[in-house]
Amino acid sequence: MRPRRAALSTILLLFLLQACAHYPINAPLQSYVPKAGYRFDNLTPGEGNTDAIMFCLTFSGGGTRAAALAYGVLEELRDTTITAEGASRRLLTEVDCISSVSGGSFAAAYYALFRNRIFQDFETRFLRRNIQGELAGQVLSPANWFRLISPYFSRIDLAAELYDATVFDGKRYKDLAGGARPFIILNATNTALGSRFEFTQDQFDFLGSDLGEYPLARAAAASSAFPFLLNPISLQNHPAPPGFSAPPAVANALEDPGTNPRRYLWAKNLITYQDKANHPYLHLLDGGLADNIGLRAVADAYTRGFIRRRINDGAIKTFVAIVVNAKTAPPEPTDLRRAPPRIPAVVMKTMTVSMESYSFETVEFMRSLAGNRAQAQQDVAACQRILDARCPGGERLRPFRSELRLHVIELNFEQLQDPKEREFFLGLPTSFSLTNRQVDCLIAAGRKLLRASSDYQDLLRELGGRPQPGAESAAEFPPGGCKAPN
Amino acid sequence: MEYLVVRFPRSRRVVIDGEFNGRANELIELEAGTYTVSLGPPANFTPESRRIVLKNTSALDPKEVTFDEA
Repeated sequence: MRPRRAALSTILLLFLLQACAHYPINAPLQSYVPKAGYRFDNLTPGEGNTDAIMFCLTFSGGGTRAAALAYGVLEELRDTTITAEGASRRLLTEVDCISSVSGGSFAAAYYALFRNRIFQDFETRFLRRNIQGELAGQVLSPANWFRLISPYFSRIDLAAELYDATVFDGKRYKDLAGGARPFIILNATNTALGSRFEFTQDQFDFLGSDLGEYPLARAAAASSAFPFLLNPISLQNHPAPPGFSAPPAVANALEDPGTNPRRYLWAKNLITYQDKANHPYLHLLDGGLADNIGLRAVADAYTRGFIRRRINDGAIKTFVAIVVNAKTAPPEPTDLRRAPPRIPAVVMKTMTVSMESYSFETVEFMRSLAGNRAQAQQDVAACQRILDARCPGGERLRPFRSELRLHVIELNFEQLQDPKEREFFLGLPTSFSLTNRQVDCLIAAGRKLLRASSDYQDLLRELGGRPQPGAESAAEFPPGGCKAPN
Repeated sequence: MEYLVVRFPRSRRVVIDGEFNGRANELIELEAGTYTVSLGPPANFTPESRRIVLKNTSALDPKEVTFDEA
């Protein structure tokens, strides 16, 4: 009896210990130092990066499909050279920021951490793995059963552990490659506020937390915590560190809700984190719920953030935003059926319809911002010409600090010319497990879509860009093609 | 977007809501809203700062804010 009792006691003890499992708590911020921490202005341009070109990429959600498409675009940028400031450079070294969501966050974070190593091992370490199967294995493992009983530990924490061990090598934000650009903005969604949450120190300041100590794996997990399948990633909202108060822009925006409701909402969401009593914790889901293409972070930086300040200071001559959108449109049989769709189908449709409409509007919003600037520059120049002709020697109009050339480029599968190729890609699943062939096709599609974009070709002409010798065939689909079956 | 010109007898960095953002006597592009405008060092200007509401401007008809040399 005694050995049996001892064994039972041991099992019970293990059970109790495991059931005490808790997600890792984000570190408190000891002091508020604007000149420190993961912020764009604290990064160096990096080797070969021309400050005058502000080049941002956004990687959408869409599981491995999105990560592979983004990876193909990175390959194409690596294999393209431009001439800037009298030197030949790889276009990839010009990338200053990458804003990403869900699956796209894995490509963004991996590149920011390991740079060109991504081209050696990202395919084997992420794209060609059955991450979904491995996650299921973790959930089913007896070693984790008791941990999952704890209310403070869930499948998303197992996922983060898996990503930490097998993708991100335990790296934290403070490890991001040598403090140089690109600045990555991994986006999640605050479940309570329904607002975009970005993993930057500017955002973490409001949580009184040090992003530098935070694992990239947990940020990527939050960004890709798809509702229904995974639980949210939780963060603690620590007391504000000494010296921190909301920036003047937030205070001014809050006092004036009428003039610019969009700016007011931005400030209101931020200031909510200072209400520590009512928001001691926050819970983050997939960034796609707030913005599935990652472009809102760039639009915010353009309207009121680090991009805006650099434009007004005249540091930027060329602004580029490339949106890599892996959205799909699987065949829709609803209208062929007499019976209305069932609740699960309706729930899924409800989520994706609003997501896609918002993505479309976000791209158009960014294009309108760029168009407004171009128009304003033209208006000033045209009026100045008329004034010079009719009132020579008169007072001159106030100029912009520098003329800005703007390029907003969206890539998506709808742009593929071949209907069968389009059908193939639009029908791919959202999953963390794709076949090698699907991954091959997606990588080639990233390169092909970029090359085929007339907006991108305009950019290359402006920058004197061209594919490197030998890279011409890399944008071809693998033998047999990537087409939907007849 | 909205447009602001901060008039000052010299070229000087402009401080908007506590951050450097553009230069005096040039067009500054900002989103609509309320801002606190000042100038960078040296502190030889008056007033110390101005609070403005930026709306309904254009690049040809920007909001103008003037600082004088002290």
